[in-house]
Amino acid sequence: MSDTAVAAPPAAKHKGPRVKPMRLLLYAFLTVMALAWLVPVGTAVYNSFRYWEADTQPNGAFSLPETLTLDNYRDAWNVGEMAKTFGNTAFIVIPALFFTLLLAAMVAYACTRYSWKFNIAFLVLFTAGNLMPQQVLFQPLFQFFKRMPWPDILSDTDTGSLLGTKIAVILIHVAFQVGFCTFVLSNYMKTIPKEIDEAAAVDGAGVWRRFFKIILPLTRPALAALGTLEFTWLYNDFFWGAVLLNRGDERPITSSIAVLNGQWASDFNLIAAASILIALPTLVVYLILQKQFISGLTLGASKG
Amino acid sequence: MSKTANRLQSLRDSSLSRRNFVIGSGAAAVGGATLLAACGDDDEAAPAATTTAAPATTAAPTTTAAAETGVGTTTLGSNYSDEKPRNALAAAVAATGVDTIINTIDHNTYQENFNTYIQQPDDVVAWFAGYRMRAFASKGVVGDISDVWDNLPGMSDGFRSAASGLDGKQYFVPLYFYPWAVHYRKSVFADNGYSIPTTWDEFKGLCDTMAADGITPLCAANDGRWPQMGMFDMLNMRINGYDFHVSLMGGRENWEDARVQNIFSTWEEILPYYQPDPNGRTWQDAANALGDKSAGMYLIGTFLTSNFDGDTQADIIDDIDFFLFPEVDPAYGQDAIEAPIDGFMMAADPANEEGAKALLAGLGSVAAIDAYLSVDPSVVAANSNADTSGYNALQKKSAEAVGSAKFISQFLDRDTDPDFAANVAGVGIADFLATPGNIGTILADIEAKKQTYTFE
Repeated sequence: MSDTAVAAPPAAKHKGPRVKPMRLLLYAFLTVMALAWLVPVGTAVYNSFRYWEADTQPNGAFSLPETLTLDNYRDAWNVGEMAKTFGNTAFIVIPALFFTLLLAAMVAYACTRYSWKFNIAFLVLFTAGNLMPQQVLFQPLFQFFKRMPWPDILSDTDTGSLLGTKIAVILIHVAFQVGFCTFVLSNYMKTIPKEIDEAAAVDGAGVWRRFFKIILPLTRPALAALGTLEFTWLYNDFFWGAVLLNRGDERPITSSIAVLNGQWASDFNLIAAASILIALPTLVVYLILQKQFISGLTLGASKG
Repeated sequence: MSKTANRLQSLRDSSLSRRNFVIGSGAAAVGGATLLAACGDDDEAAPAATTTAAPATTAAPTTTAAAETGVGTTTLGSNYSDEKPRNALAAAVAATGVDTIINTIDHNTYQENFNTYIQQPDDVVAWFAGYRMRAFASKGVVGDISDVWDNLPGMSDGFRSAASGLDGKQYFVPLYFYPWAVHYRKSVFADNGYSIPTTWDEFKGLCDTMAADGITPLCAANDGRWPQMGMFDMLNMRINGYDFHVSLMGGRENWEDARVQNIFSTWEEILPYYQPDPNGRTWQDAANALGDKSAGMYLIGTFLTSNFDGDTQADIIDDIDFFLFPEVDPAYGQDAIEAPIDGFMMAADPANEEGAKALLAGLGSVAAIDAYLSVDPSVVAANSNADTSGYNALQKKSAEAVGSAKFISQFLDRDTDPDFAANVAGVGIADFLATPGNIGTILADIEAKKQTYTFE
């Protein structure tokens, strides 16, 4: 939004050769701010292609490179065991994302389309859940999972209880994220005219049919936006993966960076390479869903 | 039992596939890096021992009785997550002959989450000697392994007491240690005609000479608020003696006592020789000043050499030597040394107790530490019967220094309540380095906050 606000005025300015000093100041400020944001990222990308001990450490991060290399990426992938940790993350994030969006959409649908006694109270409860810091619930959840017997057939790791399984991490993610998603989806569904629903009902469509065939497709832009956001949040989680999964080779991708952090000495170029590798999937998801996301914004706008 | 067996089988499968992956990628990487090629070899060696069900195929005649008795598969929780220690531990475990699945967790997360980890632990868990072990022993979350100690030849009484809980039972098997001492460059001392200082006055005199020669006398780092704890420990043990240090760490002394103030007033005498603003400097950055010879001396652990590349900076590593922290009070001389010990504990309720104890006995044996040192020679064996023929000069010196020391401390954050160390003492030391003049207020603050800790 702010991009368009900044970009629009120059078009109108073409006629006058006069440059306003305030405008110059604005551009100077924006340039400096943009550089301030880009320098850390740029330095990390640049140094991820250099050797640490032989080059960056003695010469400094801003020096010219002695040699450029892809070794850091290969080492980060191998030493961080990223093939496995990516798999672990996919095992956790994909079902968690699916169930979060599905359940949140159901709650949102019920709360926006049907009037019942606890309609508002229910919505408030779900929204209030967002305000709770997740770490506060760590101890009770940990003890609960530890005491909860869990059949081997339903778990990915046989630990005898929920604790130590990726299922536990998925459950926690779904429980915590449903609140925020319900809040967003119910607000969006309120903008979809009730008449569409009623017309379908008159034509004989049942509740499930109206939900899956009419409301969900119309909610697609909101789902895409939420999907992008939620994917990033779940993907970046380190806390639950670290405290609930006791086996190092069960942990999500975020733990790969921790592994690369040496006990005494750290190769920061290696860590930079790992960070870039780990950031890629979120960028890919954003690019894939971006179209939905933007068309969603305009769709809502034109409907008025 | 079958449930445990299933679990072990599934773990074994998963660790096998992981290893195969590492081997494959290691082999692919052979191209330039000899380091990678070397670890590929170690990884191939490790599964051979950890996955064979029949111990007969393990060709290690020096292993303990465990191999013959067939104690089943056991699990080992490890924070040896760096490449070299990880391979070294795999080699040590292989040498025990006990069928073991190693669960490697990055060392930082492992240590920070140990409270939750120990509630669903592996059979054997990597940990530290001293107070940090005792804290868990007294809570009953780790198992008594006194019977393992009945048959641990080569472990001195010093290590036995470092492995004992407050109840006098043993809960820990030491593997190795690494001393803290004042490191320097042999060539710098030779070129400038410096001699090793043994007393505080000689030490300060040397600092003056170095400063006059344009060399920063003392490397100083405190990023993470732990490096300067080493200076505090050494000064306290030199000025007030080991017993007072233990008592102070145990929360039984007043931090506003004249003896504690004496530590800081003595410390202040050498602050002018420090690199400026140590609180913001990582220990590696300080080490680089020793590497380019812009600084002269560095009180740090022997892991210092790991900051330098074994191939391209071998000349620096070979040029590094250390001397014991100088005497301050003749009553105590140089009788104490700081040497953190790493080793293993057993879970309170292990799935395979027999296997766990066999593994612990094996890890305490000469065969295990010899195998470990052959991969990672940066540490010194706890077992006095270990093969020292492969030791480099620094290792030999470390072993002698610790062997001849009357008292061995662990490190401030291992000798007292870890939370007190990090959030009270560590903060106080950092404040002192920033504003030495405030030491009166700082010590009053430490003493006040100390009251909220029980120190067990």
